Amino acid sequence: MASLADSFLADLEDLSDNEAHLDDEEADVADMEEDADGDIADIEALNYDDLDSVSKLQKTQRYNDIMQKVEDALQKGSDISSHGTVLEDDPEYQLIVDCNALSGDIENEIIIIHNFIRDKYRLKFPELESLVHHPIDYARVVKKIGNEMDLTLVDLEGLLPSAIIMVISVTASTTSGKPLSEENLKKTIDACDRALDLDIAKKKVLDFVESRMGYIAPNLSAIVGSAVAAKLMGTAGGLTALAKMPACNVQLLGAKKKTLAGFSTAASQFRVGYLEQAEIFQSTPPSLRTRACRLLAAKSTLAARVDSTRGDSTGKTGRNLREEIRKKIEKWQEPPPAKQPKPLPVPDSEPKKKRGGRRLRKMKERYAITDMRKLANRMQFGVPEESSLGDGLGEGYGMLGQAGSGKLRVSVGQSKLAAKAAKKFKEKPYGSSGATSGLTSSLAFTPVQGIELTNPQSHGNLLGSGTQSTYFSEMGTFSKIKRT
Amino acid sequence: MSSYLLPTLSRKREVDGIIRDTVDKVLVLRFGRCSDAACLQLDDILSKSSREISKFATIALVDIDAEEIQVYVNYFDITLIPSTIFFFNAHHMKMDSGTADHTKWIGSFHSKQDFIDVVETIFRGAMKGKLIVSCPLPPERIPRFQLLFKDL
Repeated sequence: MASLADSFLADLEDLSDNEAHLDDEEADVADMEEDADGDIADIEALNYDDLDSVSKLQKTQRYNDIMQKVEDALQKGSDISSHGTVLEDDPEYQLIVDCNALSGDIENEIIIIHNFIRDKYRLKFPELESLVHHPIDYARVVKKIGNEMDLTLVDLEGLLPSAIIMVISVTASTTSGKPLSEENLKKTIDACDRALDLDIAKKKVLDFVESRMGYIAPNLSAIVGSAVAAKLMGTAGGLTALAKMPACNVQLLGAKKKTLAGFSTAASQFRVGYLEQAEIFQSTPPSLRTRACRLLAAKSTLAARVDSTRGDSTGKTGRNLREEIRKKIEKWQEPPPAKQPKPLPVPDSEPKKKRGGRRLRKMKERYAITDMRKLANRMQFGVPEESSLGDGLGEGYGMLGQAGSGKLRVSVGQSKLAAKAAKKFKEKPYGSSGATSGLTSSLAFTPVQGIELTNPQSHGNLLGSGTQSTYFSEMGTFSKIKRT
Repeated sequence: MSSYLLPTLSRKREVDGIIRDTVDKVLVLRFGRCSDAACLQLDDILSKSSREISKFATIALVDIDAEEIQVYVNYFDITLIPSTIFFFNAHHMKMDSGTADHTKWIGSFHSKQDFIDVVETIFRGAMKGKLIVSCPLPPERIPRFQLLFKDL
């Protein structure tokens, strides 16, 4: 721990040198209130007890310089004529850019001081920090309450909404805090004072910037308002820099970084930056906000470009663009036109979409004409056909069962798909291409008064399906390759 | 009264014109009076379906009380109202609905869909080149009228 203290010492020594230097200069700088403590950083390692080790902004040269200039400029009033051809040379322009940076720093400083006050006041009234969130309000309330234990004697009217005052009074009656020591109380009140001062300073800076924005970038301020315009310009690093940016970048200027890993991004908002604070944006309904933001960024980039070349110093372009934006957003919010019933299509004008595929083919097979039926439909020339009732009555059998045809039994035809599947298995039942019952024989009694035998090898297939080749044997293989 | 949606014709010129000018669409001409109850019912169905069948049919109302229209009344032998006559490309389309008179449809329809079915059948038949089609409606939906001949 000793070495740690030593290293901190070494750091702080540098600081203390600076501050000693500043102390001399401070006397020369006019009308900025200085802290009563006004002393050098402590030698001890980051002593949290003392306000100044935490909050150093008001000591810095930069801060005081800028505040000085702002005060002067505000007192001087508006100065329209003095703008030269090049904007960047104008000292007021530079001041504006500095002011922007400063207001950011002031905000950080306020937060730091707020933490400080909170930690000190926790001993007295721990629940207050969860009831009053805003740092400046918190500082005001702390200052008002002081070391008082009984809140009925404290008048918080005007500082907070009455609902919150009520909650505070109730909580104070049951609080677990104890009154602070005199020294602690003094430090806390000082910190509150400092926070309030910073707040006032920030307001001054913003007022100044707003009043000047109208002269530096009239078109841009016409669209988004001077405060947002000043912020944009400050973050971009100047009006020309802002003008050179594409609109998508302008949209993201000032956007907070994504939430840390571990926190859910489900509720994280889409990326908007300072434009979020623009009046137009706030007044659009939430569902249209993304589109509005994109539109706003695009038009404000155009306005910034006009301003950077000083094309229109009256701000008319800006106002026109603002009108355009307003009209577009209104148009988006229009309800859609009423739907008219659609007329029916002309009959038979759209040909039916026929489907194909394996499923359809299998379905069609159930109704396809079988080989047996095909044979029955045909007749041989000059040969009377047999019929079911005999003598020409009843259903005719056509070529079925005629003598001389190769087949004696017409078996159930195999579907083409099954044939394809069967080809995969090389075993083809000997002689018959379909399922035959076990009781069939190769003998048949034909009307020729004889017995006809059929050669099971013969391809007496009268029909011969188109897909089966008549040249190449289905069962034969290459003669030289051994069959396994 | 929704007959402001459907054109009402009272002159012979207009009727001629509309028969000539309707190209490749069925022309439905309703002959009747706009004050008659059955006519009103039919008119209601006609006007509700006019937009839906607008791609293949046109509908118009003809007022039989006009003098110029009497020519048509005599030609088509219109005695009962409302009578609906169908044309396609200036050909008179006949429909066999089981009644005695095939040249026109007498009375109203039970529903909008019935009317649309009839018009579609006429269209299909006409596109095939037929001049007479058979009615797709089942007989209970076809209004039957008894023709009283001189108070017999």
